[in-house]
Amino acid sequence: MALLELDGLTRRFGGIIAVDRVTMRVEAGEVRAVIGPNGAGKSTLFNLITGVVPTSDGSVRFDDETLTGLSPYSICQRGVSRTFQITALFPEMTARENARLAAQARHARRWQPCGGGAVFGDTERRGDAALERLGLTHVASRPAGLLSHGDQRLLEVAMALAQQPRLLLLDEPTQGLSVEETAQAVETLAGLVSDGAMTVLLVEHDMEVVFRLARMITVLHRGAVIADGTPDEVKADAEVQLAYLGGLA
Amino acid sequence: MSFLRGVAAVACLLALAPAGLPPYAMTLLTEALILGLFAMSLDLMVGYTRLLSFGHAAAYGLGAYTSGNLLLHTTIPLVFAVPIAAVVSGIVAIGVAWVCTLASGVSFSMLTLAFAQLLYAVAFKWTSVTGASDGLAGIPRSPGPFGITFFTGKLGFYYLVLACLLGALLFCRALVRSPFGAVLRGIRENEAKTLTLGYNTRHYKIAVVAIAFALGGLAGALYAPFAGFANTELLFWLFSGQVLIMVIVGGAGTLVGPIIGAAFFMLVSNLLSSWTDSWALFFGLIFILFVLFAPQGIWGLAMRAFSGAPSAAGRGRWRSLNWTG
Repeated sequence: MALLELDGLTRRFGGIIAVDRVTMRVEAGEVRAVIGPNGAGKSTLFNLITGVVPTSDGSVRFDDETLTGLSPYSICQRGVSRTFQITALFPEMTARENARLAAQARHARRWQPCGGGAVFGDTERRGDAALERLGLTHVASRPAGLLSHGDQRLLEVAMALAQQPRLLLLDEPTQGLSVEETAQAVETLAGLVSDGAMTVLLVEHDMEVVFRLARMITVLHRGAVIADGTPDEVKADAEVQLAYLGGLA
Repeated sequence: MSFLRGVAAVACLLALAPAGLPPYAMTLLTEALILGLFAMSLDLMVGYTRLLSFGHAAAYGLGAYTSGNLLLHTTIPLVFAVPIAAVVSGIVAIGVAWVCTLASGVSFSMLTLAFAQLLYAVAFKWTSVTGASDGLAGIPRSPGPFGITFFTGKLGFYYLVLACLLGALLFCRALVRSPFGAVLRGIRENEAKTLTLGYNTRHYKIAVVAIAFALGGLAGALYAPFAGFANTELLFWLFSGQVLIMVIVGGAGTLVGPIIGAAFFMLVSNLLSSWTDSWALFFGLIFILFVLFAPQGIWGLAMRAFSGAPSAAGRGRWRSLNWTG
């Protein structure tokens, strides 16, 4: 039983088909990358799964439940957490408060209008644990807006982790990082996904990052899936060579 | 706990004020506390959630007309009529907020303005309830229950206002420091992110508007028996703009700041109007200076001067105001 199933998922913007009948399965415990050239529809695919953009056609099923048509907050409440291609944080709050507020979203009494010592205690523990897993403990008390770009990218992952998601969507986690920062971030992320306890769907431009982290790859081209398989199968695929890998080399 | 100690000290001073101040000053002080309560209620929206309302006078007017009618046409005692009016204002706000939160940013602000102006127009036509352009006059401070007449006098009414303000301040402080308040700050800083983290941001916004309207309605409900009348000016957009100025000049996002801002507004407009008819022009200049050079407001300046630490209001907030929400 796949954890995430996309069936004929389609999104049209006017006359442009951004995502074209994408059918894809993500098994529990799998780390899958979605790759493709610019404008292939990778980010739109994420926005469709998380309900940020409404679907034109097709369906998203998560753990045998249809997500299509649900709002972003209810999809997140079902255990799907994501990061954004363009860093989205609470810049005036500390890194710790960012992670804590993310954890609070999954707490039963997240709306409690007075007191809340217990809620703050629980969620701060979960947030701090997520910061530690991404090596951000030393910057926990700094405002998120003042962190380095690399730490901001990792903080967004920490916020998603603090929600203890069943499916984690990472949208270009190394976007805009220097070579050293990328290497560091990839090591941290590899450590996170190595135990196979987490299901991750990853959009990434950097092929080295993809081959280091993902065990399965889906290739998108002009919104449609042109290849799907293990990294070796995808590398050997002629169509992929033409559309993407060859284009870069 | 230094905040609570400070509030207790100021509360003691205010409680002793009637012993030392002449009756005229006591009337001004009572009105300042009512306006302070009104400004603080708007701070929940503007300072903590970045929901810029151009129609907060609607809350005040709703409270004033409700308590005015209750006191004029029923025998409900003052101390019950005031909280009932606040609740009515809060309940109406749920419907208002449901509509206004369909939009965000500047469209939200325009919808709040439109709604308040709609109420203003209704108040002008609905003579049997609002007295139209004459307003409601002779609103009594009905005694009771159990024959208690303390709150009907000027002194007792002052203590009633003071108790409402202190209670509302402690309530708001607990609210903004709660998990609910943390979500409001999330909406203030990045609403889209708050939504994708799994918070139904619209419900939070509707809730905070309802609470702000209930407290703003409480202020209006106190004003009607204070002044003895209620008229359409209480619903007019000019008043919505003035209370927004009180919040920003006092220091948005601090609760205490807007109370001081309201007192400052009353004091300065009284001084200026005794000197020139164009007092609003000069107050406008003061407002512009604050926005440009002290966006953290009077309270922020005071915090920096006394403790050397920047206040929670932060610097440069208004310059970085993001209209697109």
